[in-house]
Amino acid sequence: MLPIPGPGAAIARARPRASAARDRWMALAFVAPALLIAGFVVVGGIGMSVIQSVGLLPLVGEAEFSLDAYVANGDELLTGLALSLGIATASTVLSCVIGLAAAIIITQGRTTGRVVAALSALTIPIPHLVGAASIGLLIADSGLIPRLFGIPSAVWPDLVGGPWWVAVVLEYTWKESAFVALVVAGVLATRVARYDETAALLGASRARRLRHVVIPLATPAVIVSAIIIFVYTLGSYEVAWLLGRPYPEPLPVLAFRLFTSITLTSRPEAAAVAVVTTLVSLLVVAIGMAMLRRTPLWK
Amino acid sequence: MMIPYGQRITPDPRTTRSRGLMRPRPVGRIVRIGVAALLALWFALPVVPLLIWSVANRWSFPSPLPTEWGFDGLAQALAQGGVPAFGRSILLGLAVAAIATPLGALAARALTFGRVPAPRLVSGILLAPLALPAFVAVMGLTIVLLRARVPATIAVLLLLVAAALPYTVYTMRVAYAAHDIAFEEEARTLGASRAHVLARVHLPLVAPGLARAAFLAFLVGWSDYVVTVLVGGGTLVTLPLLVGAFAAGVGNDAVVAVLSVSAIIPPLLLLLALGRFGRRYAGGRLAAPTPSRSPKGSP
Amino acid sequence: MSASLALDALTKTFDGADHAAVDAVSFSVAPGECLAILGPSGSGKSTVLRSIAGLDVPSSGRILVDGADVAGLAPERRGMAMVFQRPLLFPHLSVLDNVAFAATVAGQSKREARADATQFLELVQLAGFGSRPVTALSGGQEQRVALARALAARPRVLLLDEPFSALDPELRSDMHALLAAIRAQVAPTVVMVTHDRDEAAIVADRVALLKRGRLLQHDVVERLYTRPVSLDVSRLMGGRIELAGVVRDGVHESAIGRVAAPAGETWADGAGVLVVRQEAVQVAAAGASAPEGFVAVDVVVAERRARGPRAELALALTDQAADAPAGSVDGPRLTAEVPASRPLAIGERATALIPRSACTVVAG
Repeated sequence: MLPIPGPGAAIARARPRASAARDRWMALAFVAPALLIAGFVVVGGIGMSVIQSVGLLPLVGEAEFSLDAYVANGDELLTGLALSLGIATASTVLSCVIGLAAAIIITQGRTTGRVVAALSALTIPIPHLVGAASIGLLIADSGLIPRLFGIPSAVWPDLVGGPWWVAVVLEYTWKESAFVALVVAGVLATRVARYDETAALLGASRARRLRHVVIPLATPAVIVSAIIIFVYTLGSYEVAWLLGRPYPEPLPVLAFRLFTSITLTSRPEAAAVAVVTTLVSLLVVAIGMAMLRRTPLWK
Repeated sequence: MMIPYGQRITPDPRTTRSRGLMRPRPVGRIVRIGVAALLALWFALPVVPLLIWSVANRWSFPSPLPTEWGFDGLAQALAQGGVPAFGRSILLGLAVAAIATPLGALAARALTFGRVPAPRLVSGILLAPLALPAFVAVMGLTIVLLRARVPATIAVLLLLVAAALPYTVYTMRVAYAAHDIAFEEEARTLGASRAHVLARVHLPLVAPGLARAAFLAFLVGWSDYVVTVLVGGGTLVTLPLLVGAFAAGVGNDAVVAVLSVSAIIPPLLLLLALGRFGRRYAGGRLAAPTPSRSPKGSP
Repeated sequence: MSASLALDALTKTFDGADHAAVDAVSFSVAPGECLAILGPSGSGKSTVLRSIAGLDVPSSGRILVDGADVAGLAPERRGMAMVFQRPLLFPHLSVLDNVAFAATVAGQSKREARADATQFLELVQLAGFGSRPVTALSGGQEQRVALARALAARPRVLLLDEPFSALDPELRSDMHALLAAIRAQVAPTVVMVTHDRDEAAIVADRVALLKRGRLLQHDVVERLYTRPVSLDVSRLMGGRIELAGVVRDGVHESAIGRVAAPAGETWADGAGVLVVRQEAVQVAAAGASAPEGFVAVDVVVAERRARGPRAELALALTDQAADAPAGSVDGPRLTAEVPASRPLAIGERATALIPRSACTVVAG
């Protein structure tokens, strides 16, 4: 039979193409509002920070390119960076270890698991600032713990506002270990349970299953949580401000002080701190994603 | 081919003797309960001083319990504008949830079922606010929003919606991944209009996901400190701002505790409601009996 | 290493359920034997298997392996290995390391464990696949690896939970052949759950037939077909012919007349339903006389249904067909299978020949 190009055939061919184009526009229209807001805040936020940090958008006076803002507080920027990285690393590692342990208890124990699950879930919605206030009331030199053990203020170490930033790390670890527990327990309960059974039937004891099956399968979820925690603790202001010491300052505290200072040059300097923090965050995300890709589960 | 099926190559620890009646190892059980108890203490302890302080008028130092019980903290919190701040926080949380949830759901649906161009890039941008410290976005965009004469409250809302979008998009993607679009197609073939399908099939099926997403978005607005303080510039006094103001001072322990407790209660109630809703929903609608909710071996 | 397995009044009631999912099930499996647990969905067959494995804790009853009760023994200490419908290969391990898993967790060195695993990969005809990631396997290959992994654990009892039901028919018969080869080589004790009676017939030595948590019959496959103990068993095994009647002096009387019990069988007096497999019924030309050991019944073809190479005939008894219009007959009918090439049309008269040796009487 000869193919006769008629109007019918044209319609038959045109319709799917038209609907494919329509589908594409519909999908774009669905994504657009969220995409515009997120894109504006992320791209705009980073872009404008960069522009301000190099002197192209001064509050008053001529716009002129310069890297002065990065040099002006060079020492504070470096110590702040080291301090922020230290706090973020300690908080992330501790949160992951405690959170993973909690997730394993939650999925393996019965009553004990339920108790830990409930308490960790109740920790999740507490604002970090409130968490900071509670940690202060717990471990400051007049806090609940020194009271309970009758330790005088003079002997009690400076946990709040002390040289080791213990209270800050503790607050982050407290809140974020609950987050890790929630995420990892979800993965363990839904995706790992059947593999755990299979491994048990192949003769693996509880400890062996933990080492050979549960922990390897939970690793991707732990890495994702770790990235989120690290970036959050690196860029979070209020906890370090409330429980930390005045000097040295972590990057967000430094940026906040410069941003709210009345000096005219301080805005670009605050923006410079913001740019450095962003670069470190992006670097950490990139490293984390690379680690995630190297886990054998990553599809 | 010969397989030494009858004998193991390595000594088999599971000899017939050890296979006799055997209870779960008591040592493992004790360790598990011990770890669970420590974790329960870890998650619960920081809230304890808050609860005690919120009903203490005076609590001089070495005393392990308040020296004078009372509601001075509450009275002070009320006098300092605690109620309007509470109301503003609720409104801010609700507004963030009301905007970020539908936008996140739309984007997630398009990404799950539609033909979004460059889907990886789009998901990347939607998740990017997680990797960007909030203060960076604020410091970059304040100048833009200021020059565009955007009211401070709207600016705060915009930034917080962007911060909430990663959570709502992710939660709804999980919900849509488990959502079988065949239900909607079935409804269409049964004569339901688009609006009917949305109201009677689509939304009811993803309702638990929507509730989770809205809860997380509410938390973003409810807990925020740094965006409100920097962009709002003191015009928008929310509960965390009051907590921060009092916690930064000395001798305000009771009022900080009262404000903190009032900042914990609403999200906790929402969390409990969410759990109850999820259970009732799963129980009533998808009454799938799962006989294989298996205990892990040992009775 | 293969062990015997015995269930003694195994009962399992799930929390909040009204009745038992498994109700006092008892059977035994000899070392090296293959038992199929057969039943419709919801019959409790998977629960029986999970209880044997230790994944579900029975409410009462005993599970004996080589005569020893395994109650309270954690799954990993029971020396079972299970293959599920989903292969559940560990996604973070290679094919070889999956098979080597049991040896690895038993404390064997990686090198030894892998050497051992290689033999089992050869056994399931996947030599050379060891270094692949598990995502690079087809469905049939995945299930072979799962089988190799289970065998490499040297299970005392190998448990198979509908392991082949997700595979297409051709792969499934390959897997049946593979299982037969494995049984010939290493003779494991196998308990397999299936809802497919053909699969049970091909794979198993004996079948335990379950319905609503109760064991209906535990017997060799052939007797489940030819000597069902109840109407339920006959129906679940696909039997189509049921002739209600009465047994007097060991002879069953029904619409097809008197049928005496075959040699070696005795039928209790009283009401009883005569069942016979439709495959055993032969169709001869009308008026043919019954050879020795057969019962001849005059019939008319009431319906003919195509069954691929064969045709299934519904045969109405002639004396009833005479006084009722065709198609509205609701009296007892016979069913027979003939080659599709036989030109027996609806309305045609014929003689059905029923071998007495194939007849069984069960309670109504």
